[in-house]
Amino acid sequence: MFQRDAFIEEITKKLHQDKSIYFLSADLGAKALDDLRERFPNNFLHCGISEQAMLDIAAGLALEKNKVFVYAMTPFLSMRPLEQVKCGAGVMNLPICLISVGIGLGYADSGPTHYSTEDFACFRAIVGSSIYTPADALSTKLIAKEMLEKPKFSYIRLDRDILPKISPEITYSDFNKGFKVFGKIDNKKIALISHGKMFHKCLEIYNKEPNKFFCVDIFRSKPFPEDLPNKISSCKGIIVVDEQSPSGNLSSCIFEGFSHQNLFPKIISKSLPEKYLFENGGRDFLLNKYGLSNDDIIAATKKII
Amino acid sequence: MKKINDLKNLAKKYRRDLFEKIIILKQGHLGSIFSMMDIVVTLYHCSFVRFDEKNKTFLDKVLISKGHATAALYPIMKDFDLIPEKEWNNWGHKHSLLRIFGNNSIPGIDVTSGSMGHGIGVGAGMAISFKRTGKNKKVFVIISEGELYEGSTWEALLFAKHYKLDNLTVIIDINTLIVLGKTKDCLNLDPIRDKIAGLGIKTLEVDGHNLSDLISTFETSKKLGELNCILAKTVKGKGIKIMENERRWHYYNLISEKEIQQARKELT
Repeated sequence: MFQRDAFIEEITKKLHQDKSIYFLSADLGAKALDDLRERFPNNFLHCGISEQAMLDIAAGLALEKNKVFVYAMTPFLSMRPLEQVKCGAGVMNLPICLISVGIGLGYADSGPTHYSTEDFACFRAIVGSSIYTPADALSTKLIAKEMLEKPKFSYIRLDRDILPKISPEITYSDFNKGFKVFGKIDNKKIALISHGKMFHKCLEIYNKEPNKFFCVDIFRSKPFPEDLPNKISSCKGIIVVDEQSPSGNLSSCIFEGFSHQNLFPKIISKSLPEKYLFENGGRDFLLNKYGLSNDDIIAATKKII
Repeated sequence: MKKINDLKNLAKKYRRDLFEKIIILKQGHLGSIFSMMDIVVTLYHCSFVRFDEKNKTFLDKVLISKGHATAALYPIMKDFDLIPEKEWNNWGHKHSLLRIFGNNSIPGIDVTSGSMGHGIGVGAGMAISFKRTGKNKKVFVIISEGELYEGSTWEALLFAKHYKLDNLTVIIDINTLIVLGKTKDCLNLDPIRDKIAGLGIKTLEVDGHNLSDLISTFETSKKLGELNCILAKTVKGKGIKIMENERRWHYYNLISEKEIQQARKELT
């Protein structure tokens, strides 16, 4: 199941009882959205391909105590209206939930205009934002439920593709912590930390060599999961894998989270390079070519050893 | 409804009060505040913005998109007993809720603004919420002419027109000046009326300092029963001769004691 369908289905369910929910789209669709629009036309607003106005309109709706979800492709939702996000959801502390589809190289082979390799850094910078990057549809549903029950300024980073189910699944008790550890934590092991699609790479590597690695799905990167540093600080070192550009990606977030607790493990950042990618060949081709293949990630352990 | 003379006196008093504050603060945007002063005096004191006496709250919303001029509302909110006298008196001396740029933590201020081009979108969001929940509430958004340079202004106008937001009125304070000079010289916006009318939005024109003209225009706007845009021709710094039509008075400027005395005389 697509993450976007999983998220929107939860909103549609809730709309049966809560008419204060508004769903705004800047011309991005989804199968589940067709259903929402048909059943609840009064709660859907097509804002045109006008992401900036959409965020201002969302602020007006939120100021009137509505639960507002805005929806668009990641490259256009994250950077085009960034100042509207700051002035509305940020400065006025409004419970607007941004559902962003197509993180990283999700829109391969569309090229750099459609890639979102800077969105994480952008949204981390905005005061008061919460950031979620689920790795499967089930954890996406948990996030949607949370945003419907306790609306807040949040940025939900969804993959364009269908991601496999994580096993064991993220449960409600994991959810509040913001992360889940897969494997046994050990001082002889290296922690692989990631989120979204890249977490599946980490899980694959761990499953092949469980004595060498354990991995962490950090589906909520902001606010930073406070329990994470102490929980895994005994590990031999950390490799952070993120389908983002090198500046301000998940590794910065991990470093800051640990350093705030006076913990300074060896952290290696595995990300995309500081360049815009124009080649064709598909997402996996690009990931493999630009340093995010499984072998590249495993090779990074040498820097720790 | 107050008599024209009373409104004139109120507008003059508010300009005087704000002038004295800005002299103390040595910052602020008097030129932009004064250009829209008569507009807001008419809106609030002629009940175009309805006040619920019992609950001490306004039923309608006024969004000052040109956030650098939100302070124009502070003396009005003080008169409606929303901003406590103490907060007003403390402003410029010690801790106070009041700021150069308004924010929605200040009683009676409906939105945090300061960055240009957000107001119509936020107003459209409020207006559509009122319409879809059957609330009889109006939204007035005051923007500066300079905000017409922002793409988001036009995006939001398209939205407001499409969704037939008949409870939304946009007022453009056209004082012809931006920081570096006349809009027609910096980057021409004219013909503003044709551009807005081209979106299918009803437009009205008014002398933004003629109180009876303002009253009749707001009456017409109310009766239209559809989204409309009022183009108010104004004078930047209206009320103090040294500030009128002077682009440098977008910001606070050094002012001599003689000029202060002269300004006080003009505002008396």
